[in-house]
Amino acid sequence: MKSGETVLRFSGVSKRYFLADRAVDALRDVSLDIAGGEFVALTGRSGCGKSTFLNLAGAMDFPTSGSVAIDRLRTEKMSAAELDAVRRGRVGFVFQFFQLLPTLSAVENVELPLQLAGDRRPRARALEALELVEANGLAARLPHQLSGGEMQRVAIARALVHSPSVVLADEPIGNLDSESAAVVMRLLRRIADELRTTVVMATHSLESAAVADRIVALRDGRIETVSKGV
Amino acid sequence: MHAARLFFRLIVRPLLREPLRALLTALAAALGVAVVAAIDLAAESSTGSFQSSLETLSGEAVYEISAVGGVPERVHGDLVRLPYPGRFAARLEDYALVGPRRERVPFFGVDLFGDPVAGAAAAAFRENLGERLAEPGVLAGAALGYVEGDTVEITVNDRAHRLRVAGVLSRSAAPTEDQDRFLAMDIAHAQRLLDRLGKIDRIYVYDAPESEAWQRAVRAVLPDGVAFEPAGARSEGNRRMLRAFRLNLRVLSFIAMIVGAFLIYNTIAVSVVRRRTEIGVLRALGASRAAVRAAFLLEGALFGLAGSALGIPLGWVLAEGAVEAMSATVSSLYVTSTPGEIRFSVESVLAAVSCGLGTALLAAWLPAAEASSAAPSAAMGRARIEYDARRRSGAHFLRAVFCVAGGAALCFVPAWNRIPVAGYAAAILLIAGAALATPAAAERILRTAAYVMARLFGAQGFLAARGLAASLARTSALVAALATAAAMTVSIGIMVGSFRDTVILWMNRQLAADLYVRPVGRGGGGFAPTMAPEIADRIQALPEVSAVDRFRSYAITYNGLPAKLAFGQVEVHGRRTATRFLEGPAEEKIWASLAAGDNVIVSEPFSRKHDVHAGDYITLPPAGRQAAFRVAGVYYDYSGEQGFIVGDRSIFLQYLPDPRPSNLAVYLHPGVDVRRARQAVMEAAGEYSIFAATNRTLREQGIAVFDRTFAITYALEAVAIVVAVLGMAGGLLALVIDRRREIGVLRFVGASARQIRKMALVQAGLLGMLANLMGLVLGVGLSLVLIYVINEQSFGWTIQFHWPVGLLLAGLTGIHLSAVLAGLYPARLAAAVDPSEAVHEE
Ligand SMILES: Nc1ncnc2c1ncn2[C@@H]1O[C@H](COP(=O)(O)OP(=O)(O)O)[C@@H](O)[C@H]1O
Ligand SMILES: [Mg+2]
Repeated sequence: MKSGETVLRFSGVSKRYFLADRAVDALRDVSLDIAGGEFVALTGRSGCGKSTFLNLAGAMDFPTSGSVAIDRLRTEKMSAAELDAVRRGRVGFVFQFFQLLPTLSAVENVELPLQLAGDRRPRARALEALELVEANGLAARLPHQLSGGEMQRVAIARALVHSPSVVLADEPIGNLDSESAAVVMRLLRRIADELRTTVVMATHSLESAAVADRIVALRDGRIETVSKGV
Repeated sequence: MHAARLFFRLIVRPLLREPLRALLTALAAALGVAVVAAIDLAAESSTGSFQSSLETLSGEAVYEISAVGGVPERVHGDLVRLPYPGRFAARLEDYALVGPRRERVPFFGVDLFGDPVAGAAAAAFRENLGERLAEPGVLAGAALGYVEGDTVEITVNDRAHRLRVAGVLSRSAAPTEDQDRFLAMDIAHAQRLLDRLGKIDRIYVYDAPESEAWQRAVRAVLPDGVAFEPAGARSEGNRRMLRAFRLNLRVLSFIAMIVGAFLIYNTIAVSVVRRRTEIGVLRALGASRAAVRAAFLLEGALFGLAGSALGIPLGWVLAEGAVEAMSATVSSLYVTSTPGEIRFSVESVLAAVSCGLGTALLAAWLPAAEASSAAPSAAMGRARIEYDARRRSGAHFLRAVFCVAGGAALCFVPAWNRIPVAGYAAAILLIAGAALATPAAAERILRTAAYVMARLFGAQGFLAARGLAASLARTSALVAALATAAAMTVSIGIMVGSFRDTVILWMNRQLAADLYVRPVGRGGGGFAPTMAPEIADRIQALPEVSAVDRFRSYAITYNGLPAKLAFGQVEVHGRRTATRFLEGPAEEKIWASLAAGDNVIVSEPFSRKHDVHAGDYITLPPAGRQAAFRVAGVYYDYSGEQGFIVGDRSIFLQYLPDPRPSNLAVYLHPGVDVRRARQAVMEAAGEYSIFAATNRTLREQGIAVFDRTFAITYALEAVAIVVAVLGMAGGLLALVIDRRREIGVLRFVGASARQIRKMALVQAGLLGMLANLMGLVLGVGLSLVLIYVINEQSFGWTIQFHWPVGLLLAGLTGIHLSAVLAGLYPARLAAAVDPSEAVHEE
């Protein structure tokens, strides 16, 4: 359904953070269209604005200027509640440190986005999502009973469970051994290919970026180059 | 690593980073210390220095001689004639209402020439004293503010008098207020004024030769039934009687401190949980076990000291408020007391500091020991800590069962020296049991509650319950603290509510007359003012009146404790009231035996205090004779803690021939208008100053006295709840701070700020509910201990158990709301967590 259409559009986006003594321009005049089912890798060294890009893309924050549209919905005009709704319905996040809630089992972690959106019987869909990441055997385990790679797979299931338009992954393999990393990359690729869900991944590993359809290199908050992946 | 550096790194810096939480804990400790100090100070002021005000003029007396109903005047003459040195000062003692404010002051008849105390004080007037006093005049204590020549209006018993102030007396160079509030009069004049010719109340003995021969000579002169004892016996008896009362108040005040202790425990336990990794690293770097333990103990000490520093001045302020209420209680239950000044002695400061510090160290002990047991560098994840906490909760639960069983067993141990030591221990064991059972119970309840919460509040409800269930290590002490406060509310609510209902039921039965008449003058120290016998005769002659019961009570000492010996007209009383007996044959039989001969009934507190039961014989000392009486029955009585011995008037008049009653119970003919009858009664008294109260007024007054008596317990409860809520706020704050990252993640996966706030509030509410639940169970247990063990052993009242449902509902709702209120600020903080920052910090 989303294939081909623009799912994420950044037009002239700048983000400025104000610190006590100075201002930091995390993004400067970034314009980029990302299509449905596309897999985009953001690269650049630490501090270049990758996470900021993902936060804006995920309706976690407003741009200082310019416009961010998710499924054609422009976030800069939205109220906090509308942002919540967009994030809840259309965005899934994956983090470097997995960020599973330590007190909930794997399947309960996956259920979270559905529950927070008001779904009272989220179990079936959560198990489905776990199956998709080949982690249905881990459903009842608590996070501290999982390996890093397993945790990240559960986290990906959590990002997918509510069928978002876009999955935003911030350094998803930054904390994994190469074998687990390969599994995670393969999964993300599959999500884009099979579910036609857009994936935007921040990484500083050029090797993993090569898996993406497009590689956007950021530097000091600006897009330096855009190149094709595989 | 150097101990001071360790302390700074582990304790001081983290505390400085969260000043609000540190402040809340210190404040909770301070309130605990303040309450303990306040109750101590107030009790000291209202009872501790308690001296019967009738001993104001006793001076350096060594012995005193007294008798129920008075000592015959000739005894004084006999004593004076003994061939020994030593001085005997005769006294008439009463109370007078003075001036427009009707202040109650002791009124003495003294030998102005021979009395070593009053005489010395009157030295300045010695010259013309004979003349000055030829016309009856009084000497006024300096603190009353009269000057010579003033006219003073006084009411003693049932008569008002206008007297000239013949002089102003000061007992000492620097008169304290109390010592100089009295009236004195020449004893002969006083006897005439009070219509007590030939009687004296007390003879003080000064400069006595401490020889056996002298003592024997004195005793030989004294008639049977006249007591010869060391001076100050009355004050001593009062003090002994008040001991249980003070002890109970003190124990009650410790509850706030226990709540405070739980909170200090919690704060330090949270410190330990949080710094687990850091402790491990520091241990690996060479910090010793002892140093780690010392660091956390020192943290406890810090809170204890801060609490004491804040708590002592606060306690002073609270004491000012408490002393009034407490004197009212002491006056209505025991003896009339005028509160003294609140004095802060070095000892009371030290006591407060050691209480605060000791509690804090005790509370810090366990978490400190746990911290020191951490293996070097074993960085423990939170999940592991919580897993340990869960594993331990099972063992704790077992200990809880033992505590409760031990507590239950202790309830059957009798009092020690009238102090319910075992009862207190039982209460402490129950509290400890509840605290130990909290983690296991809380987890069970929260796991179940999670599904209910999910229904009620959606995902955030579920998450709130699960989050709490998973944070047992840091929340169960909070729950225990609030549960203890709730249990206190519940147990005291049940105890006081039950007591109140019991008293109301009792009054409804016992107070059967339509009008109660007493003289306007007031007594004190169990000393009842009296009225002329003809008042009763005039009232009886009124057409509205069907019968009058003449009642007289005397303050006596029984086994070294104050008691009341009283008699009424059994033929009137027995037929018209339904007295409930605890021991003895049927009511009519008891009344018959009272009227027939030397039988008495005793009140329940008397029976328990002196272990006297139906069928026993007791020896009483009415003037002139020592006589044995058989106890025909034990009756329920809630009018005072001293205990009554009651007999029939016609019998007792043989021993105590003073016909003046102290109270009249007036029964009207059916259909007579009570208000009109009251008017008639007051008018019938004519020149006498009496007061007639309707049955209803008397009952209302009784309940008012009751409520005033327990006002202070409610105040203590309120403080305990405030302490717990402060701790709750601090604990919830810690919970939010520790879970910032999780809150951030929830925001990322779709939670709105509102959902987060709701989750935090639901957690506060859940904690409140848990505490209420535990508090209700513990509170009911404690109320049983209070009613059937502590109260019975220390006061001797049977309280019928009642559920004060409204009161409990209100109390528990209040606690729940307070918990939610305490969660408001932490919830706002949780909602304001910046998700990207929280998720990316590691
Ligand atoms: N909340 C914030 N407040 C202030 N500065 C921020 C904040 N978040 C990011 N920055 C700054 O913005 C710049 C870009 O950060 P970020 O997007 O996290 O980079 P990357 O993820 O590529 O390492 C950095 O200089 C960072 O310090
Ligand atoms: Mg980043």
